[in-house]
Amino acid sequence: MNSIENIKPKVIIIDDEDALRLGVKKLLQMEGYDVSTAANGTEGIALGIKEDFDLAIIDLKMPDIDGITVLKNIREHRPNTVCFIATAYASYDSAVQATKIGSQGYIPKPFSAEELLNHLRMGYEKRKLILEADRLRADRENRLLELSFERTRLNTIINSIDDGVLVVNRDEQAVYFNASALKYLNLHEIFLGESIADILPPKIREVIEIHFDKPNNDSKSYSEQIELLPDEKLFVQATTTRIPNHDGTLAGVVLVLKNISEFKRVEFIKSQFVSMVAHELKAPIAATIGFLNLLLQSEIEISDEQKTDFLTRSNVRLSSLLSLVNDLLDISRIEMQTVVREIKEISLKDIVTDVIQLFNLDINKKNLSVIFNCEDNLPTINADFNEITRMVTNLVSNSVKYNKVGGEIKIELKENSRYIIFTVGDSGIGMKPNEKKKLFLDFFRAKNEFTKNIHGTGLGLAIVKRIVDSYSGTIEVDTEYGVGTTFRIQFPKLLETEITTTINSH
Amino acid sequence: MAAKIVIIDDDSDILEASSLVLKAKGYEVLTAQNPEDGLKLVKESSPDLIILDVIMVEPDDGFFLAQRLRKEGFTIPILMYTSVSKSTGLQFGIGELVPVDDFIEKPISPELLIAKVEKFLKVRTEN
Repeated sequence: MNSIENIKPKVIIIDDEDALRLGVKKLLQMEGYDVSTAANGTEGIALGIKEDFDLAIIDLKMPDIDGITVLKNIREHRPNTVCFIATAYASYDSAVQATKIGSQGYIPKPFSAEELLNHLRMGYEKRKLILEADRLRADRENRLLELSFERTRLNTIINSIDDGVLVVNRDEQAVYFNASALKYLNLHEIFLGESIADILPPKIREVIEIHFDKPNNDSKSYSEQIELLPDEKLFVQATTTRIPNHDGTLAGVVLVLKNISEFKRVEFIKSQFVSMVAHELKAPIAATIGFLNLLLQSEIEISDEQKTDFLTRSNVRLSSLLSLVNDLLDISRIEMQTVVREIKEISLKDIVTDVIQLFNLDINKKNLSVIFNCEDNLPTINADFNEITRMVTNLVSNSVKYNKVGGEIKIELKENSRYIIFTVGDSGIGMKPNEKKKLFLDFFRAKNEFTKNIHGTGLGLAIVKRIVDSYSGTIEVDTEYGVGTTFRIQFPKLLETEITTTINSH
Repeated sequence: MAAKIVIIDDDSDILEASSLVLKAKGYEVLTAQNPEDGLKLVKESSPDLIILDVIMVEPDDGFFLAQRLRKEGFTIPILMYTSVSKSTGLQFGIGELVPVDDFIEKPISPELLIAKVEKFLKVRTEN
């Protein structure tokens, strides 16, 4: 048998005749078969079910169970085993019956070696075909399962993404869309195969139709920022890309809508900030140039006293310009997080003491009394020394600047279970409710009869707020116009990263 | 009689420098540091020309004051100081939205200031 490759075909012989069993066994072993035998029907069924034989030769007449029943039993459990019925009592009826219940063939006894081998060879070919067909069927079933799973998964994914996807064909009929596309285009439904030209916003149509007149080799994507809802409610970036046919002609266009509303809002805030910065930078420059022009103008008579006054005032304006530039650098440092923070153990008490010392001259000049209360055994905090010093400096500086002559500054450091609480109170000019609202805004400075002659960049508290926020702290303000202002900062004792490690280590 | 000019700007340094330049040219100059005082001053003194800073306490204060003045029937020329030019971001629809006659960008060149003031006051005397 030349078709027997490296795997031996497994065959079982079920026959009560010892001589036949042994003879056939020997013959088949010589021909390269793996042979098992059973001496009666019961044994035959047990073995035939237990193992998956390629072939079975079953004697029709056996004392315990007849061959037809054995065949039935084996086929029931092993439908792919190719069975032959062997019998000396060959009859047409039994042959038909055997074939009906799935016998491959009918081998009349006595048979020659040649006859038997021929039957088995054909039987084994059939067995291989059956197995191959089975394998293919299983494969196909698996693939179909995978495919439908894949399709569902792809649909789920496309429907879950936040970007809107809409595919149209050359006739501007919808071919595919996802849930986000409906949402952004504010449509309840899109019917596949229906022209959607009329229901799309004109600007969206434009970015789609741009592809219709392009040559086949133009594979560029087109992108447009489109306001779909006014007042910054919905801004999308609409990008369209052509889908080519096999021959390169246009099959359709895929439109992707990305929600960029938040991005636009940030862009607006940024450009507003830039305008404000430009204005704030220009004001001191304009004033100084104004004075310089006066001093240079020979036609305008200016007394020596006026000259000194103008130069002094120019000096003040340029100094404030310098502080403004420093503040802006601080803000950009905090916001860009380019500078790596040097987090170490620092004592708020020491910092506050140093900062008060720094303002001694101004405090004495205004005849202010400073009360500093610090709770005993106040724990240190882990933070960047420069940032915390900046935060304390800005608050203390304000409490001096906006205080009244002979006023009071009350500074307090205490703790509760989670926070260190830092309070700076002054008996200064206070704020009106509408001023309080804008307190932490960039460049906001209360302008009233009290503040007319106080210089500031308008960024001091904005910086404090940014620093406190970056350490997950909170800042509150109590104020009354003409009476005073108190700032209260709650500073977490543990940084967030420390909290995580603490939790993990337990 | 010397033409009368009212300058309204919250920056006292700018006010002083501008006043000196215009006073040296023989104009009578009155100043105010906020929109309310400015409006009062214009009503009391009926000047020939107003110079207005666009940003005072609030951004657009100058803009609103200009509208207010026009609404109250003042047709005299208004020059507006701006510290932000169009190129840097803040946009104004000149003539349409802001009812002023011209803009002068800060820092202010004395020559340009005098030239613009003379242009408007000359036109006015010819009328």
